[in-house]
Amino acid sequence: MLFNSYEFIFFFLPITFFIYFYLNKKRLTEASKGFLVFASLFFYSWWDIAYLPLILVSMLFNYTVGRELSQHTQKRRAYSSKTLLGMGIIFNLGLLGYFKYSDFFIMNINKAFDGHISLLNLALPLAISFYTFQQIAYLVDSYRNETKEYDFLNYAVFVTFFPQLIAGPIVHHAEMMPQFAQLKNKVKNYYNIALGLFIFSMGLFKKVVIADTFAIWATKGFDAATELNMLEAWATSLSYTFQLYFDFSGYTDMAIGIALLFNIKLPMNFFSPYKATSIQDFWRRWHITLSRFLKDYLYIPLGGNRRGEIRTYTNLFTTFLLGGIWHGAGWTFVLWGALHGFALVIHRIWQKLGFKMNVVIAWFITFNFINITWVFFRAVNFESAVKVLKGMFMGPLIIPSSMINYFESLKEFGFKMGHWSKLYQHETYMGLWFIAAFVVILLFSNSMQWKNKFKPNFFYMGLTILFFLSIFLLHRKSEFIYFNF
Amino acid sequence: MFSSKMYLKILFFILGMIVTTTVAYSYYFSKNYPLPITNRISFDAKLQFIRENIDPSKIDTIVVGSSLALNNVQGGVLEEESKTCKGVLNLSMWSIGAPQVEQLLEVSDAFPNLKRIIYSGQFSDFGNKLVFKDFDSNFIQKYMTNTLNPIVYSDLLLNACKDVSFCLKRQEEWKSNYGMNNKFAYLKFDHTGSAPLHIYGKDIVKERWKNPHAPVQIPEAFQALIRIAKKASNDKIKFYFIQQPYRQPLIDAHPGVKLVMKKFAKNVNLLISKEGGKFFNLHEKLHLTDDYFADRSHLNDKGSKIGSKEIAKFIDESEKK
Repeated sequence: MLFNSYEFIFFFLPITFFIYFYLNKKRLTEASKGFLVFASLFFYSWWDIAYLPLILVSMLFNYTVGRELSQHTQKRRAYSSKTLLGMGIIFNLGLLGYFKYSDFFIMNINKAFDGHISLLNLALPLAISFYTFQQIAYLVDSYRNETKEYDFLNYAVFVTFFPQLIAGPIVHHAEMMPQFAQLKNKVKNYYNIALGLFIFSMGLFKKVVIADTFAIWATKGFDAATELNMLEAWATSLSYTFQLYFDFSGYTDMAIGIALLFNIKLPMNFFSPYKATSIQDFWRRWHITLSRFLKDYLYIPLGGNRRGEIRTYTNLFTTFLLGGIWHGAGWTFVLWGALHGFALVIHRIWQKLGFKMNVVIAWFITFNFINITWVFFRAVNFESAVKVLKGMFMGPLIIPSSMINYFESLKEFGFKMGHWSKLYQHETYMGLWFIAAFVVILLFSNSMQWKNKFKPNFFYMGLTILFFLSIFLLHRKSEFIYFNF
Repeated sequence: MFSSKMYLKILFFILGMIVTTTVAYSYYFSKNYPLPITNRISFDAKLQFIRENIDPSKIDTIVVGSSLALNNVQGGVLEEESKTCKGVLNLSMWSIGAPQVEQLLEVSDAFPNLKRIIYSGQFSDFGNKLVFKDFDSNFIQKYMTNTLNPIVYSDLLLNACKDVSFCLKRQEEWKSNYGMNNKFAYLKFDHTGSAPLHIYGKDIVKERWKNPHAPVQIPEAFQALIRIAKKASNDKIKFYFIQQPYRQPLIDAHPGVKLVMKKFAKNVNLLISKEGGKFFNLHEKLHLTDDYFADRSHLNDKGSKIGSKEIAKFIDESEKK
């Protein structure tokens, strides 16, 4: 079930909300948690019930291992905690690897050794990348004795809580479990409901109105066009850059808003990433909970910055390379991760050397680096990525025929005259959309800042209503990009 | 600033009003005008008509084709004149070629007592290979037989009415254009889904009257016809193709049209006979004068009545044998 669907907004969400608080009102707190797990699994199974056993097995396994790990010091075991943790991580990564990467692996083996191994053609179980990471974090924390005694129901709520189940934010048990346990959170909180609805409606607007509009143009450029001129290629890449941001941050806002209705505060996942003035700054603002996970459970265990400069660079690069692979099974993702890892290394060296840069230039370089690397992230293969990049840097620049009198002399230098774009010639308002998108990402407060400023007054009510009007565009129902990861 | 509880009360009241007004308007619109669910008003209107008026179990005869079936075949006359066609549904819509008719006929499964399909057309319906994009016969069947899941229907209803200005425009056009039987845009169907035209004298559009269709024929269109006939035969449904009349002065003045008319009749007869279908050349049978035409190939009400009577006779005779 999509957050941006009528069945979710008008049926699932209100029904779940009222039953959950009704059970709590009757002091049936365990039943309310059980109901929340049931509702979340129903929400999850709406796509395909075939995925349900997998998430249940994964939860049961991780809960058992996590419990064993947290009790390990009190019991004598034939195997060490490290072995148990290793087994747990191998199980999780094995599951993820089997479903997400086996075909990629087989394809490469076939290519390298001219083999003919048949592909498994497995469907990627929804949200597997997210709940796997969340549970690995739980196992590691159990090993470090940082978890408390949770029963399975609490654990199930933590893993399956539907606002964050499908595409994050990737939550940490330590920030979730206490919230579910607090008695004050079991009572309806009108301020949280008002705030939650505001944030949810903002996310809905971002997704349905903005992201889905840019999606049309990005798809045209990446998937429909066979070649692109310079302006078309830049329009294509920028369309995707905006689509991805508004899509994912829209989803996150909706998740945060829905969780607030249940008095649960999900961690911040975005903080105006396109305002970043360096690649490091970008990763502090983009998909913050993924960056946090990668830092806590990969970069630091690899040694972080504690083992000398060269090792720090290697760790940084490795972390982002693996981050790239986490996003998808394909060489384009590998390259995307590698480019970001490389950029972070360069940035670190730059800082070490004490160099400074004008903020505007720094923003310009950062934004363009991100925009260009998203091309690899979006393209279905290298040919498609090269098509867009070639257009961006070597494609012909077509000067509108109406300006022929002013730029006649440019013809001698190979400039063509005509409509600036055949691909987008019917998109009258495209330019305005780009300007508006730049204004929003650079000059407006982000959702988290809006959240902090929120007051129950007519201004916010008006905004909530305006944003909610995007339900009239739900016919453009499309899945969120991050559901694919 | 108010208390959060009061804020929510006002917010929900306003949102509730918006949703209620939208739902009420959508409901009103859906009951009185064709919901915009495809990109063709004649398709929307036909689906809406079937949904509101037709009991699928009572249909034994489907008339299908372009406006040459919609306007030229009067289902009501067929029912009156024929001893065999007692439940007629004219499923036709504007400007559909044979490949689209083939797609459209996928919905015939919705009619459990269907006994015959009458494809009414002319060579001009075989000049393109266009198909409906994303044609979902299962969805269309469910929509027109009123068996869509209520959530899906609500979704459809709200989506259809999302653009209020579009709906208001359609409302207006329905009164001034689609509801006028002296215009080619007429879409107020009789009880079988036919739309006979009352276009005479000054209402005749000169361009359409004077100029014949281009004599273009596409093999893909004939292949679609073969598949239609074959499927009907497999489903044990009788299949008839009616070649509609064409203005004789145009045929006489344009040798290309004369030739294509002849070839078309020969080809269609040959192709569908192989699959057990029956061909009826209404043009040759009636040799109608210009008094019966609304343009080069569309009959007026008088013409379509005569034509429909002949079709009824032909079917009765064919099924007597």
